[in-house]
Amino acid sequence: MDTAIYNFLPVWVVIFPIFMSIVIFVSSRRSEKMRDGLSVTTAVLTFISVVAMYPSVADGGVIAYTIFDILPGLGITVRLDILSFSLALISSFVWMLVSIYAIDYMSHEHAGDRFYPIFIFVLGSCLGIFVAGDFFTLFIFFELMSLISYVLVIHEETREALRAGYKYLIMTIIGGLALFFAIILTFELAGSVSLSEGTLITVPSTMAFLAFLNFLIGFGMKAGMFPLHVWLPDAHPVAPSPASALLSGIMLKTGAYGLLRVLFTVFNIPLVKEANWDILLGVLAVITIVLGSAVALTQDDLKRRLAYSSVGQMGYIIMGMALLNEKALVGDVFHIFSHALMKSTLFLAAGAIIWKTGLRNINDLHGIGKKMPVTMGAFTIAALAMIGIPPLNGFLSKWTLALGALDAGVPFYVFILLVSSLLNGLYYLPIIIAAFFGGENEHEGEESLALEYDDATYGMIIPLAVLGLSCFVFGLMPHNFLFELSLKAASFLFQSGMP
Amino acid sequence: MEIIIKILDNYYYFVAMVLFVIGLHTMLTHSNMIKKVMGMNIMETGIFLFFVSIGYVRGGRAPIIAEEGGLLYINPLPSALILTGIVVAVSVTAYALSLIVKLYATYGTCDADEIAMLRTREDQ
Amino acid sequence: MYLHLPVLMVVLLFGVSFVVSLLGKKRRNLAFQLTLLVLGIVFIISIYLLQHVGKEGPFSYHVGGWPPPWGVELYVDYLSAYVLMVLTSISFVVLIYGVEDLRHELKSDVLHWYCSLYLLLLGAMCGIALTNDLFNLYVFIEISTIAACGIISIKDDRKCIEASLKYLILSVMGSGCFLLAVAMLYMITGNLNFTYVAQELPHVLPLYPYNIVIALSLIIVSLGVKSALFPLHVWLPDAHSSAPSPSSAVLSGLVIKIYAVALVKLLFQVFPPQIFEVIPVLDIVLFLSVLAILAGSIIAMVQDDIKKMLAYSSIAQIGFVFMGIGLFEGRALAGGLLHIFNHAMMKAMLFLAAGLIIYASGIRKIRDLKGIGMRMPLTMLAFTVGAFSMVGIPGTNGFISKWHLALGALDLERPFFVAVILLSSLLNGIYYFPIVIDAFFGTQIMPQSEHKDVPALMLVPVMVLAVGIIFFGFYPAPVLSFIERAIGL
Repeated sequence: MDTAIYNFLPVWVVIFPIFMSIVIFVSSRRSEKMRDGLSVTTAVLTFISVVAMYPSVADGGVIAYTIFDILPGLGITVRLDILSFSLALISSFVWMLVSIYAIDYMSHEHAGDRFYPIFIFVLGSCLGIFVAGDFFTLFIFFELMSLISYVLVIHEETREALRAGYKYLIMTIIGGLALFFAIILTFELAGSVSLSEGTLITVPSTMAFLAFLNFLIGFGMKAGMFPLHVWLPDAHPVAPSPASALLSGIMLKTGAYGLLRVLFTVFNIPLVKEANWDILLGVLAVITIVLGSAVALTQDDLKRRLAYSSVGQMGYIIMGMALLNEKALVGDVFHIFSHALMKSTLFLAAGAIIWKTGLRNINDLHGIGKKMPVTMGAFTIAALAMIGIPPLNGFLSKWTLALGALDAGVPFYVFILLVSSLLNGLYYLPIIIAAFFGGENEHEGEESLALEYDDATYGMIIPLAVLGLSCFVFGLMPHNFLFELSLKAASFLFQSGMP
Repeated sequence: MEIIIKILDNYYYFVAMVLFVIGLHTMLTHSNMIKKVMGMNIMETGIFLFFVSIGYVRGGRAPIIAEEGGLLYINPLPSALILTGIVVAVSVTAYALSLIVKLYATYGTCDADEIAMLRTREDQ
Repeated sequence: MYLHLPVLMVVLLFGVSFVVSLLGKKRRNLAFQLTLLVLGIVFIISIYLLQHVGKEGPFSYHVGGWPPPWGVELYVDYLSAYVLMVLTSISFVVLIYGVEDLRHELKSDVLHWYCSLYLLLLGAMCGIALTNDLFNLYVFIEISTIAACGIISIKDDRKCIEASLKYLILSVMGSGCFLLAVAMLYMITGNLNFTYVAQELPHVLPLYPYNIVIALSLIIVSLGVKSALFPLHVWLPDAHSSAPSPSSAVLSGLVIKIYAVALVKLLFQVFPPQIFEVIPVLDIVLFLSVLAILAGSIIAMVQDDIKKMLAYSSIAQIGFVFMGIGLFEGRALAGGLLHIFNHAMMKAMLFLAAGLIIYASGIRKIRDLKGIGMRMPLTMLAFTVGAFSMVGIPGTNGFISKWHLALGALDLERPFFVAVILLSSLLNGIYYFPIVIDAFFGTQIMPQSEHKDVPALMLVPVMVLAVGIIFFGFYPAPVLSFIERAIGL
């Protein structure tokens, strides 16, 4: 009986939000309160359901079964292991907080009736990616999430948003086709695309390389990897802030998740090393880190700067994969958690500032910390975590990554990490300093900011504060829950990647 | 020399092919639609000729079974089939001509090029 | 009893077609009812045949009791049962839509003739799928050509008449080539029945190689013209875009495919495989299909009329079917044949959705479609599903056929064709998605008042096809297993 429930939970967390999105759509015709309430309830219940999956994976257990076959060897399958659980957990957690935040934020925006159903639907499809049992199912949900979140990107329907959205759409299609090619090549080579059958491709060949390259294009596109990141800095800032937080905080991670699965399930560590694909990955990661951080420096728009910072941070995650050892993987998975928490905090804080003052330009934010202390407090914690200051979670992930790099014998990567931290400092610290220590008189002319306390509503600052605090909590102790989870996930992944 | 003899031996095939090509050429190159229909008919006549000549046996007679046996008959099947073919050709011709009449009523010309010209002028 | 069903289908369709044409304009409701009834019956028969053949295997029927090689033989095998199912189901759904739409698009005194032509067309197409006789095939091809031109020119608007004349002239050229090919095959084999011709051909191949090669080339040209294989497609865009919407749906969805089916039947059942060593027909078909896929998509991108865009897209999509035929083996062929059904559903749906938009608002230009999604949400939702399927998003049936084609191409170690498939998907995305986006997120241009309500009877068929697209995207197994048996996998 119990096992039946546990087996059903992974399906439930996908179906439930998708079903509820229809209910929310219908209810939005009746009353806005009901719509808002339902979306928060759905997100909370989904989070609880995800948490409830923990016992079945805690001891390295795996739930894997087929729902139905579309074609022989190709069907809708479910697989829940510790890695998928980890990502589902962090996604639903952030989603829940963002859904609370969104209620007040979206009251200023138009077309909420469209926003909420889509918002919840994307939650379902995002979780679908994580609990998918094979690449085909994963691909379905991946495409579903990418295409539907187009609506979130262009929510404001300005010319700029539509242009960014078009770019996003074209890149999504290209990425989807590359994935399709990769999956079909894998299917041809291995006769299966399941995640549960061990390593699928063990022999390097041109076809295998083609498959790897296309996986890299498909998932790298989503993860904002250089040179496929071009859509990201346009698309993330134009979306409404709750959506940007999710796009940057969670949806980028689906690309990283896909790449992890590719490296450790489709291929295995010896093969990747033998074919030197790790070097390719490492080079791309380094360029992504440096480029993302450097370009972020030159951005004046707060959200654009955050978006470029995301590019840089995803570089860390890809670098962690390229190292191919267990310690680096721990850092890698933990950085997925950290970045999800940090970046969603930052975007939500930026959103709160825009919501309250309408200011997007960094130069206008002098003294904002006095006006919105909680918002800027959360922003500061997250920004410091980004830079990698102990005892915040960003430090912990960078530390573990650096250890992994040293283990792998590539101190160069440590150097890159340091350079990038420095760059992070260069572009985050001025914002913080100006916000708290800058005064009214530094404003030039028309834009003057009243500096008495006037923070955003509780509905917005409480999720912000929770996220900001979590950056702190999960960095304070080296052996916290999330870190344990990453340890387990990394060793699980590492094991599956060994022949 | 040999090839000429071969052609002369099978001159009906040769003539059929020539008719086919004339018809096809007329159909595809002439802009006058009536001529296109005529080309269509010539082409089909060529094919019918070809088909019927397949069944012809030199010295054979019409396949009406006579009392006395041992006579040589031509193959009746192609002729029978071509009857159907002719019916089809006639109906297609009638249909095409009726369409041309309609077009003539609208544009006052049977020339496809002129119609195209009139249309582009109208579009502008 | 079941033995008579195949011929009953054709006879019923032709017979009722005749009766309907006599009904007169006063009783056009009766005409539609009768037509729908017959289409329903034929659909049930085809489903019955499908499952019968699935259980007991193929069977043949001798028309008039004359056994082959003298009589005409109808042969119901897996392929023809599958094709019959496609023909009858799609045409049934399309005519339900047509009941309302045609009253709006056509003059009221030709409605019963439309029904008559529609039945004639369907009967001829069923005949093409069923027949096992070369000359019989020619006759059915001719009937379907005339009927197809008829359901275009019946609109009696000069664009339609011009388009149908162009279509007719080129088609007749194609039919002429086909008849010549039949003559050549008959000349050397002395038979018209597929089976007997196929038995003779390997023996006479060394004696008359040129005859057979010329016959094969003529057949490819003639069926290529009729199924709009690039570069013989010139008639299609005008014909399909100017016709009444139900006609466009049937023409693009079914008529061009049936000739591809005829080609598959001839290549499979008549011509010996050795012929491909004499002349690389399949490579030529492949080359043309690649050109069709790319050129069709690229030309579709620059169209401003929505139905014309859909018509050019059909040229690209028929390229997929021919790519499957050209690869001629295993999963690629299965993918090509599956695409016949899948594309029939998608394109019929898209044409009907376009027809709904034209019906409700009179808009044909793509740039005027901005904001239409807000007023016709269900129609545009269906259109979106169709667009997804065209691009090949998983979960739609377009994905399944592309998946098979691509796997088949990889099986034969020709990844170039996979690249073509992907490129075409990208191009499809580039011209289909902006329409969807503009429809839902663009600001509307036309005032509300000009907008007509859409009757449910027109909306339901579109929705049924849209649901079908998704259903067969997740559950292609029954159709696919049939196709795999048809090609002996």
